[in-house]
Amino acid sequence: MKFADILKLSLNGLTHRGLRSWLTILGIIVGVAAVIAMLSIGAGMSQSMKSQMSNFGADVLTVSVGRTRAFGPESGFTNRFQPGESGSPPGMQGQTSQTTTTATTATLTDTDLLAISKAEGVETVSGIISGRATVQYLAQTVTVTVEGIEPSAWNSMTTSKLASGRLLESGESTNVVIGNGVANGMFDYNLTIDTQIRIGSKTFTIVGILAESGTGSFGGDDRTIFMTIQVAREIVTDIGNNDYSSIQVKVTDTNAVDQIIENVKQVLYTSRMVTSDTADFTVTSPTSMLATIQSTMQTLTFFLTGIAAISLLVGAIGIANTMFMSVMERTRLIGILKSIGTRNSEIMKMFLAESGIIGLMGGLLGIFLGFIVVGVISSIGFNIMGMGRMGTNTSVAIVTPELILFALAFSTIIGIVSGLIPARKAANLQVVEAMRSE
Amino acid sequence: MTSTIIELQDVKKIYKMNGVETPALRGVSLKINKGEFVAIMGPSGSGKSTLLHMVGALDTPTSGKVFLDGVDISTLKESDLARLRGNKIGIVFQFFNLHPTLTALENIELPMIIVEKDKKERQQRALELIKAVGLEHRAHHLPSQMSGGEQQRIAIARALANDPEIILADELTGNLDTKTKAEIMSFLLQLQKEKKMTVTIITHEPEIAQYAETIIHIVDGKIKVGG
Ligand SMILES: Nc1ncnc2c1ncn2[C@@H]1O[C@H](COP(=O)(O)OP(=O)(O)OP(=O)(O)O)[C@@H](O)[C@H]1O
Ligand SMILES: [Mg+2]
Repeated sequence: MKFADILKLSLNGLTHRGLRSWLTILGIIVGVAAVIAMLSIGAGMSQSMKSQMSNFGADVLTVSVGRTRAFGPESGFTNRFQPGESGSPPGMQGQTSQTTTTATTATLTDTDLLAISKAEGVETVSGIISGRATVQYLAQTVTVTVEGIEPSAWNSMTTSKLASGRLLESGESTNVVIGNGVANGMFDYNLTIDTQIRIGSKTFTIVGILAESGTGSFGGDDRTIFMTIQVAREIVTDIGNNDYSSIQVKVTDTNAVDQIIENVKQVLYTSRMVTSDTADFTVTSPTSMLATIQSTMQTLTFFLTGIAAISLLVGAIGIANTMFMSVMERTRLIGILKSIGTRNSEIMKMFLAESGIIGLMGGLLGIFLGFIVVGVISSIGFNIMGMGRMGTNTSVAIVTPELILFALAFSTIIGIVSGLIPARKAANLQVVEAMRSE
Repeated sequence: MTSTIIELQDVKKIYKMNGVETPALRGVSLKINKGEFVAIMGPSGSGKSTLLHMVGALDTPTSGKVFLDGVDISTLKESDLARLRGNKIGIVFQFFNLHPTLTALENIELPMIIVEKDKKERQQRALELIKAVGLEHRAHHLPSQMSGGEQQRIAIARALANDPEIILADELTGNLDTKTKAEIMSFLLQLQKEKKMTVTIITHEPEIAQYAETIIHIVDGKIKVGG
């Protein structure tokens, strides 16, 4: 029998069992759509995180307190690392918290700063303090991450682009530079250059607005306000006068980053009187951050895909079930087909084609549904791991042609595999036995 | 010129179900000549259908041999045996012969699709056959939209599709009225005469058996001689 004719007979069987066929296909549709959505959201998230991270200066290390490797682009880079293993990044706290000022417990000191500056391979160091402060504009009050920086050092390390205005200069005590997210969208009215805002109990003038999304050398500067460190100490009051939230280290040679990290660690062991086992600080480079992010994203994607895979499996069981039923129902028909000359192998192909078509249809429609889901998620934007609202201009989910091909091939194979046992059962039926069944 | 087309040598068939053995054929030997019209008769449960299945290469004997055109069918591969059925044998069962989701015309075309006949040729032949059984006005009906007698006539047309050498029919006329019975029987007779087809039918009606040249009586799984 020609394969085209086998296919026609399969389609004939499928269309005549209309609703049942569709319900089986639905099982696969849901599974495939889930896989598409999960995989593409995963890919989209890791790409958007990478795009933020790729703006780190490759020559800037960050020393922070604690050993946690948590991160959150929304929060300032400097307070991303929390003391101890627990606690969410400040960026995930409510935007309208009632406290006036909060800060991470900072235990990096002047002594540490001085020690690092003398380590081999270190060009400049810059201490940063970071905390949360209430910011008032017109009648609206919002809690924002505030960072105190040393302008000369910070300006030399950052790769932040200015959207407008200028960067800070040393000694400026009433001016701030704000992240793009602070300027646009945080308040009902957008903030512009020369706007005056109240931070804590002081009034500041905005002199610069950074370009959008994580373009700062320290990443995720979008929702942060920068001011000189002296002023910041008056606003973020719970950090000791000689303490820092983190220290930025510019290295002399980007090819020797690993060695320089080691040098910095060694001087800190001495200055902080700890060993590598009891170390209470972390030194990270943009590359190691990227690796962390990638591995986290991978875990997340695996997890999401696992869930989706389970729903696919359920769909596959649905196909197998339908195929078994359809073999049972058509036992007599199989007998007739054999009695007029159909070979076992052709019966087998007929049933496999049927289950393959179910899989393929499920795959096609599943991709379609997956697209819709992905589109909806992208357009409303979503907030995972403190990523903030990124939907409007960042692609949250990525659907690649490879993913589509993979989904199609995979669902067809699932269809065929789940039809395998029923099809064999059908093919091996004895003609007379089959004819006898009702 | 008479030559043997079907030969059974001491064919036994024992059905085993849940450890219970039911002997259906207890050693049947027979020869049917090319172009012969044979009727198989016998009481219910005597093994008539079982015998027909052996002749039609639809089932394998527990012991003994079946030859079709001189070929021992137990030596054939499954795929060749299937095509042998498709090309040489046209079989009509008592009930439910048709593919339920294909139209009458498509059902007639089906055996030709299986043996990969040319599309034009098979459509033409299917039309010819449906006219021959007088059902061209039912061409696009599904089996469920036809009467029992109409379905049987479509089944006969389908059995003839590949110009088989042998026509086998099990209680073909069982649920038909006298007029239709006569029509179908004369149609078979005509095929046998004009196309030299070998026709073997099972029947319990003596008036049907009259059409046959040879009557084989089966009782209790054995041929009753001189019945
Ligand atoms: N698949 C089977 N399993 C077990 N026993 C069977 C099977 N098929 C037939 N038999 C038995 O074999 C015997 C012969 O059956 P067969 O169908 O050949 O009879 P028959 O002569 O065609 O009867 P009828 O005129 O009623 O159609 C019967 O006793 C029947 O019960
Ligand atoms: Mg019978």
